[in-house]
Amino acid sequence: MKKPAVEDAVPQPALLSRRRALSSGAAATLAAARGLAPAVFAGCSLGIPEKARTVTVGLLHSQTGPLAISATGLRDIELHAFEQINAAGGILGRRIVARAPDPRSRADLFVKRSRQLLEEGAVAVFGCWASLSRKTVLPIFEEFRRLLFYSVAYEGNESSPYVVYGGMVPNQQILPAIDWLGSPAGGLRKKFFLLGSECVFPRTANYVAKKYLQSKGMKSVGEAYVPLGNRDFVATVREILASGADCVLNSVNGDSNLGLFAAMADAGIDPEKLPLVSTRIAEEELRSLLPAQVKGHYAVSCYFQSLPTEANRRWIAGFRDEFGFDRVTGDPMEPDWCLVHLWKQAVEKAGSFETEAVRAAMRDGLTFDGPGGTVRLDPKTQHCDKYFRVGRIRGDRQFDIVHASPEPIEPDPYPQIAFPGWKCDWTKGGIERGPEVSIDGDV
Amino acid sequence: MQFWGYDLYSLYNVPPARLAMLFIAVFVGFYWAGSILFRPFLRQFVKNTPGANDIVGYILSCFCVFYGLLLGLIAVTAYQNVSDAGENVTREAAALSALYEDVSRYPEPHGQNLRWLLRDYTRYVIKYAWPLQRMGIVPEEGTIRAEAFHEKLLDFQPQTPAEEILHAEALRQFNNFLECRRMRLFSVKSALPTTMWYVMILGAILNMAICWLFDMRFLTQLVLGGILAAYLGTMMHLIFDMNQPFRGDVCITADAFESLYKRMDEE
Repeated sequence: MKKPAVEDAVPQPALLSRRRALSSGAAATLAAARGLAPAVFAGCSLGIPEKARTVTVGLLHSQTGPLAISATGLRDIELHAFEQINAAGGILGRRIVARAPDPRSRADLFVKRSRQLLEEGAVAVFGCWASLSRKTVLPIFEEFRRLLFYSVAYEGNESSPYVVYGGMVPNQQILPAIDWLGSPAGGLRKKFFLLGSECVFPRTANYVAKKYLQSKGMKSVGEAYVPLGNRDFVATVREILASGADCVLNSVNGDSNLGLFAAMADAGIDPEKLPLVSTRIAEEELRSLLPAQVKGHYAVSCYFQSLPTEANRRWIAGFRDEFGFDRVTGDPMEPDWCLVHLWKQAVEKAGSFETEAVRAAMRDGLTFDGPGGTVRLDPKTQHCDKYFRVGRIRGDRQFDIVHASPEPIEPDPYPQIAFPGWKCDWTKGGIERGPEVSIDGDV
Repeated sequence: MQFWGYDLYSLYNVPPARLAMLFIAVFVGFYWAGSILFRPFLRQFVKNTPGANDIVGYILSCFCVFYGLLLGLIAVTAYQNVSDAGENVTREAAALSALYEDVSRYPEPHGQNLRWLLRDYTRYVIKYAWPLQRMGIVPEEGTIRAEAFHEKLLDFQPQTPAEEILHAEALRQFNNFLECRRMRLFSVKSALPTTMWYVMILGAILNMAICWLFDMRFLTQLVLGGILAAYLGTMMHLIFDMNQPFRGDVCITADAFESLYKRMDEE
């Protein structure tokens, strides 16, 4: 016998009304799902591409190789700046993603990494230490029409619409250093030995220095260049002693300074009589040097950690809170910090991350109150005004500031004494060329 | 994991409790929708068959045994995967801690620089690597920091027999640390194969389809089947949550590194 289905035994409502009821129910469920979806997915990023909420910047600093000793601090201060910016809501509502590949202190890798960064969409890149790396990557930035922010003191004799220079140029660092060394406070020194790494910066900066020394009636009694990464300075120190110099203008880069200071100490050189005046030594480098070997020598810079201002103390404390109690700040970390904030200002002013809009915003002139004082970005040269400061190295790997310029010095990437006829004004058509100058020629 | 062109891993961005609700809602919703749309057609196959409910019940119980076994084994595998990855993370943090202790005994300035580089690495892992891992991305820049440390470590030239022993131990510990680190990076993308997900989802659908064959009151069908579907949804959510070791609610946290970093920073 056929067994009746369970439903057959129960009186059923009319089929049409049941269908209507079911379709109404389905419609109500869909409506409820649509209404509840925002609540379920609230706070999550489903459906919004990650790239739409972020913007990438590149940090191009050597984290290994001979320049790592100096450049790693720049990476960290930039990370610190971007972390703070992100914590405050980012820029134009977008979180900054900092990508930091390692060019390993090699010019060829600087090219490869910068191209990679720009191809991956980095809107700006903060980076480079040695001038060789900057000059090597410059055509790539010009090709992509993106901005490179360069914070290290350099030799000048260069200006590009796609580079913003945050470091000192010779008229803000080397020339005032010569003036100071020739003054009674600096020991009335007249005979200079010019020492540097075999790189663009020391060669060109020393050319400018020689021209200036000549104009001031002082003398360059010797000149020596060592390969980057070289640590054997015994012969060089002998050469310095034989020259009869009363001070050494030191533009040696990176960890070569370890060998240089060790050789100076081994030769029993008294910093009072023959000081090394370094343009590339800051607190970060002093971490790797033995205090006994460096004490009493000098560095010329725009910033020292020992600067006794409240803004500086707050900045150092903030950095140490994040990166560790024993971290130090110095030049070019301070200019680097200022560059990040100047870029932020420019982007906010432009309302866009697009390079030309940012450059246009910079043309109006920007200022930022940095830990080392107020910094103004010169729209003509895309360089910054800088204080000039002289520090004497203490036994605790810090500096006593023994001299400071009363006002920031305006940048002149083409000092007329060395590059006559050359001028730069990006608000009025760019570079005005003078006669070609050979830095290898007689001075 | 792509499913009909959609990246299902973006579901990890949904807060855990809501994701669980979502899984249950989808499974129950599917069951209910199927009860309305497919049940009338499926029932045609068993209609007028004597003892149809008994046959369907027998088939369902057989099917559930196999499907239950599959789900159980997959859940265990997924948990084991998370557990192994967690162990690697702990070992990496332990190796890092031991290495930090070793280099603390180095003469200055080497000791300070090496300690600082290890702290930098640990900070990177906590602040940058972990958020990337939670998005299923293998972090790359930790390698640079490890290389920077290795370079500085090799820079040190031992001057005494004691320093030689210390240096050899530091190098051994560094290799141990590198091995653990590599294992962690490998496990970032480890997950169940997509085919397995297809099998699980198909199994769940068949499970529900068999339930639609039961001859019972519509409301009873909705309630009983809904309960089964809700549990299937919960199981799927659990497996999905454990699918990738660094994502979801049941994931490995950076606690081991955080406590190490705190200790490094306090010294």
